[in-house]
Amino acid sequence: MGPQEWLLVRTRLLGTAAAVGVVAGGLAVLGLSVLRNLDFASTQTFAVGALVLGFGVLGWSGSVLAGRGIESLQTYLDAGTDWTEADSRRAMTRVLGFGAGVMVGVVLATVAIG
Amino acid sequence: MVSVRFIAKRLLLLVPVLFGVATVVFAILQLSPGNPARVIAGQRASQAFVNQVEQQLGLDDPIWVQYGRFLADVARFDLGQSYTIQRNTPVTTILANKLPVTIELALYGQLIGIVLGIPLGIISAVNQDTITDHLTRVGALSGISVPIFWSGPLVILLFSQILGWVPTSGRIDSQAYSIEPITGLITLDTFVQGIQQSLTSGFDPANFAPFISAVNHMILPALTIGIYSMALISRMMRSSMLEVIRQDYMRTARAKGQGAKITIMKHGLRNALIPVITVIGIQFGSLLGGAVLTETVFGIGGIGTLLVRAIEVGDYPVVQGTVLVFAFLFTLVNLGVDITYSVLDPRIQQ
Repeated sequence: MGPQEWLLVRTRLLGTAAAVGVVAGGLAVLGLSVLRNLDFASTQTFAVGALVLGFGVLGWSGSVLAGRGIESLQTYLDAGTDWTEADSRRAMTRVLGFGAGVMVGVVLATVAIG
Repeated sequence: MVSVRFIAKRLLLLVPVLFGVATVVFAILQLSPGNPARVIAGQRASQAFVNQVEQQLGLDDPIWVQYGRFLADVARFDLGQSYTIQRNTPVTTILANKLPVTIELALYGQLIGIVLGIPLGIISAVNQDTITDHLTRVGALSGISVPIFWSGPLVILLFSQILGWVPTSGRIDSQAYSIEPITGLITLDTFVQGIQQSLTSGFDPANFAPFISAVNHMILPALTIGIYSMALISRMMRSSMLEVIRQDYMRTARAKGQGAKITIMKHGLRNALIPVITVIGIQFGSLLGGAVLTETVFGIGGIGTLLVRAIEVGDYPVVQGTVLVFAFLFTLVNLGVDITYSVLDPRIQQ
């Protein structure tokens, strides 16, 4: 895989998740601001988005940091679950992309409504 | 030899880990009920005063502004000031006082785990399916299964109450000895103090009495925390050694006339240690977490106890700072594990 293709794959992985996140974040702010107020909607949705982003970043870096070790741990303890470092990394990239998208969506929606 | 590039790459990984932890902690505290301004102002304070505190702390800013400011502060190693535990004291100062206690506890616990776990695992593997092996495996399984809040009181009951060998709680006999903190690691500080006194006034066993007292106080908590570590390490060492023993190079070494013990120690141990090192690294993180319970059971005021107290009273900066320091320590230990890995097997660097 060349550097261009490598970048394209990663961008697509992150970009699609972030786009979904932007929409979800915007809709959540809209919905919650109708039920409560804009300040509450903005704060709560942004915090949830940040939580997802943080979880994704931690999951991604955790996979890179200790993934190989966990794979071998599972093998040695006869607890193989087909979990791999690469799969985990890809999944976490999507999660962190979604979280970042939600945060951006919240800011856009709050500025637009407020 | 470990390459600088390898270490630099691993050090760079610290950035996303700390960013992730900071973000998660920020989000959880934002989502949790309670207003920090109300905590600082006091429950009886007027709303106007609470609003004033909110303004001073920037809590009335949009959340993304607060998030950005928080990340910028963390990047400058500014963890803020305590709201309630030690009002207006920098969190870094509070952590600097408490951290050595937990580190010391985790280090001794890990040491017990390694010193007992590795030989037990080897003995178990070498004597596969014998009574020794079965006993070791049952012991390991029990060690993994028994929670610290149960094993802690149990060792206190046995070694302190029934046998009366060691003290139950605290870090040193504080009524008998006063210690000038140097590193905060009390066993090290008392030892250094003993040497200093011996150099100035000649050797006297009484100079090392504080050190003996500190070690005595450390035995039970370290044992409690070390039992779990030992169990996992020995279990892992057994599996890993069993796999290595079956390798062709081990058979070749034996066929060439090398004794069984030398073959295992010279050829087997190095290779069998690689997965065990991983466990030791992951384990250290659990030990830091497990220290919360151990510190509570043995009445030692470390960072774990501080975290629980900060959560109870809603001291957000202390919670954030403590969790960040835990994460930092954990990633540093993992860096150490990676370096040890690559020393044992240089192919890993590629």
